[in-house]
Amino acid sequence: METFQHSFPSRPLAWPADRSWALAGVVGSGNLEVLIEPNPAAPDAVAYDLQTSIPGYADSWKAALADFAAHYAVGGTRITLHDQGAAPVVITMRLRQALDLLTPAQP
Amino acid sequence: MTSSPRDTRRRNKAARLSRAAALVAGKLVPHEKTADLLRAVIEPGDILCLEGDNQKQADFLAEQLASLDSLRDLHLVMSCITLPSHLELFKKGVVRQVDFCYAGPQGNAVADLLAAGQFPIGAIHTYNELYARYYIDLTPRVALIAAAKADRAGNLFLAANTEETPAIVEPTAFYDGVVIAQVNEIVDELPRIDIPTDQVDFVIEAPYPMHLTALFTRDPAAITDVQILMAMMAIRGIYEEYEVESLNHGVGFNTSAIELLLPTYGEELGLKGKICKYWMVNPLPTMIPAIEAGWVETVFSVGGEVGMERYTAARPDIYFTGRDGSFHSNRPMGQLAGHYAIDMFIGASLQVDIHGNSSTVSKGRITGFGGAPNMGCQPTGRRHPSKAWLKAGREANPGPGSLPGRKLVVQMVETFQSGRVPTFVESLDAQDPAIKAAMQGVAPVMIYGDDVTHLVTEEGIANLGACRSPEERTAAIRAVAGYTPVGLKRSLADTAALRARGIVRLPEDLGVSPARANRSLLAAQEIKDLVRISGGLYDPPAKFVDW
Repeated sequence: METFQHSFPSRPLAWPADRSWALAGVVGSGNLEVLIEPNPAAPDAVAYDLQTSIPGYADSWKAALADFAAHYAVGGTRITLHDQGAAPVVITMRLRQALDLLTPAQP
Repeated sequence: MTSSPRDTRRRNKAARLSRAAALVAGKLVPHEKTADLLRAVIEPGDILCLEGDNQKQADFLAEQLASLDSLRDLHLVMSCITLPSHLELFKKGVVRQVDFCYAGPQGNAVADLLAAGQFPIGAIHTYNELYARYYIDLTPRVALIAAAKADRAGNLFLAANTEETPAIVEPTAFYDGVVIAQVNEIVDELPRIDIPTDQVDFVIEAPYPMHLTALFTRDPAAITDVQILMAMMAIRGIYEEYEVESLNHGVGFNTSAIELLLPTYGEELGLKGKICKYWMVNPLPTMIPAIEAGWVETVFSVGGEVGMERYTAARPDIYFTGRDGSFHSNRPMGQLAGHYAIDMFIGASLQVDIHGNSSTVSKGRITGFGGAPNMGCQPTGRRHPSKAWLKAGREANPGPGSLPGRKLVVQMVETFQSGRVPTFVESLDAQDPAIKAAMQGVAPVMIYGDDVTHLVTEEGIANLGACRSPEERTAAIRAVAGYTPVGLKRSLADTAALRARGIVRLPEDLGVSPARANRSLLAAQEIKDLVRISGGLYDPPAKFVDW
């Protein structure tokens, strides 16, 4: 088990009126759970809180989480990640899926 | 001066046949006499063709051949080195040279033989390239082939797996070589004649049926959310955008996901009747839902697929079938169709380098090519236009003296393989000096970066065809290479600039909602669903049946 807390600058997220959180994925082998919640105290940053069952990949996590903060407007949120050995290719997808639930629908 | 009759091959063939005369009744040889027949017919120095590709194998003849102790100085020509009996010939040291295409299942053993100096490679080919050489400088003296059935006159029926048999038999038979066929059974009357007896010298009823692999069966239950996201992006960013009407799909799960999204996601996007109408692909079980939903006009195939016999026979509007009603395939003609007549080739790979070259060679394994490069390339001999071809051409070829069109050549890969092995690398394992040395300095690249138009990963799509320099192409590759070492070297500024020009596109740029990338979007969840949707006509192989 390894834990990791870090904040990155990000443009503020416009919260939809009808949602106060978003969840994607599950805690299961080779998968991870991503939970996005409001964090009004820091509107220009995203606060990540990660628990992973596989230690030793802090640099990769940092790069993926920093990119996500830079690409998308997720300021003013706390994002909690519970990882159980998700393949690297799953991580950005789960982040995008959770954010997608807070943004207007696309096909 | 008298002119020479120049008929040495014809006289030599007659001598070979007369040596075998005591073993044969008509054209039929009892299987117990197979070794005697091969000893009588094969001569030292022969170019010998052993039929076997990634699905169908003349395995009885291969085993009989490997059991002989009389062989010397053979030049083997064969598309696939797959069976232990093939390796036996190399271990015995009777092979002077081998020209082949593919050694996937024996990739490690072949690399070991090469290291031991026991694997004298002439060249590693693509399928049609090797078949072409059968008509030029590698015409077999003896061809050992496999058919489903023969009649007593020696006519052959090839059933669903025609594969490469005609491409071997024709040059051999018409240039005075000897054709020996193993068949599963000898019958009084064939369902149809695929190879006429005029092109066959000997027929042996093998004691067991030929080996056939269900190579193209993908279980929908194993498709992941990531593959579904990639499939959604490919459908929106390539299939829809270029209006891809004719295409080839690879054998992987990525393209299976696309097939299973057509009746759901594709239908919702209003794409039915606009895309994916004409296919050059084997009878993939995962295409059953799209076919039943009315998406597909025609499918031509290079080979059959175990279990799809009754389904294909019951859908003659879709598949090519013989007068007997059963499925027909043809590997060289299918490859030719996939080269010249389709809008798009889309496939996967194990490694992609920073120039967009891809390869299935990994350290210590020699796999070769198969047919993908015959389709995953730009056919510069193409002249007929199509919407997709012209659009890709406009993006890529702005200058005078360049082709007006381009085939879409798409590589669809996850940034990591299993076990956290990065797909994206600075330099391919195919650049291994030992492999290059055996290939006269040429690295075995599967698909060249210059031919690739699009790269699809779980991160997004890079339009390599629209890049204007090698540096720009590398930046576009890094932009979608995720958190591999290659991806981590990207610059955010480069990526932003490429995104602004539409060369790099993320899910939101494509109008794709990642939240919907879920297995519930697939038209079939498991093999059982495919059987149900086929109306009970699909008979999956036992290893896929768990009910």
